[in-house]
Amino acid sequence: MSLINEDEALIAAALKGSAYAWEKLVKRYESRVYNHGLRLTGNSSDAMDLMQEVFLGVYRNLHRFRGDAKFSSWIFRIAHNKAVDMNRRKRLMTLQSKSGDQDERDIFEQIASYSHDEPDARLSSEELNSQIVKMLSILPLDQRLIVELKVFQSQTFEEIADMQDISVNTAKTRFYTALKKLKVVLEENHVLP
Amino acid sequence: MSCPKTQHLLQEYFSDDLAPLAREEIGNHLNSCEQCSNELEALLFAQSNLQKWQEQQVPHWDRGLELFRREHRSGNFRSGFWSRWQWLPTAASFAMLGILLLNVSVTSNQQGFSLSFGAGSGNSEQFDVQLSEFQARQQNEMEALITRVEDRLDSNSIQLLQAVMDQTQQSTAENLDRIYAFFEQQRIRDLEDMRVGYQELVDSDYETIRSLQQLAQFVSYQGTVR
Repeated sequence: MSLINEDEALIAAALKGSAYAWEKLVKRYESRVYNHGLRLTGNSSDAMDLMQEVFLGVYRNLHRFRGDAKFSSWIFRIAHNKAVDMNRRKRLMTLQSKSGDQDERDIFEQIASYSHDEPDARLSSEELNSQIVKMLSILPLDQRLIVELKVFQSQTFEEIADMQDISVNTAKTRFYTALKKLKVVLEENHVLP
Repeated sequence: MSCPKTQHLLQEYFSDDLAPLAREEIGNHLNSCEQCSNELEALLFAQSNLQKWQEQQVPHWDRGLELFRREHRSGNFRSGFWSRWQWLPTAASFAMLGILLLNVSVTSNQQGFSLSFGAGSGNSEQFDVQLSEFQARQQNEMEALITRVEDRLDSNSIQLLQAVMDQTQQSTAENLDRIYAFFEQQRIRDLEDMRVGYQELVDSDYETIRSLQQLAQFVSYQGTVR
């Protein structure tokens, strides 16, 4: 049975009241949603809140899932909306790039050393993730969401445009602009090869 | 010098479904344009940096199971217990409708209960008589009430009319007095103006006569001198 068919079978069973099917369905996606939340919010507590809100939204709307899109796309559409709502309530990752910031300079030096494959300076996974979160934090939420959906969730520009209620070309432009900003930050910190 | 194609070209480079011909064109341009190829390399590097993300393990949570079980338990209860009795309200509604439409009456006497459909004929005649008496009584009372209301309205209207007429007469008399006083005042002012005008005319004539007398004296004096 393919993953998509497996999703559909689990959804059908969960709708009939199977707690086992619901738990299995959540287990399949919780890691992706949690890590998505970590990258968007920058901290574990907000990421947990976001993940719980997402799965509550999935639970409440499961009967509306028609199967005309992938279940993962449907979940990340909910996650996208929940992240926007959460950002309205409390600004997510307000950290902005400041060129004179010593901590940030250290972070990018660490990225640079990691990038050049020096084994002694290899970062731990938490440190590396922390650098990525800091890089993403320079982007406004709409661009951060596009990068997240494109790079990490492999969504198409059409799906992203539909979620953000913008044209496909605008989605492409935002993605390009976001990558350029990240490139500039890496250049300023001499991380680029 | 910056390449004008960079933005459009690289935006298209990241497109989802790039046609083979377009991909070939972009590839050709990247091979010939150093600026675009450098820019693309930098963007891909930034993207690859993000992709170094290490998946973090999800902290323990109940996966919404408690909520799921609670809601489905209550859902099962509803579907288990109520599904057997959900026809009851509908049946009761139909029964009530039947009772109303067929005018069913249940009476109990010494011989027991009796069920009858439609109204009894004896009762109906008595009811008709009572109803006609009641209607006649109601009509009489209504006519008496209308008469009283009309009387009251008439007396009120007459009083109001009189008051309006009194007030109109009074205000008309006052207005006539004012008009008379105004004309009188105007007449006195005109008379005064006429008197002043006449006096000025007289003064002017007197001056003219004096001038003529002086002229005559002068002429006669000149004749004497010669």
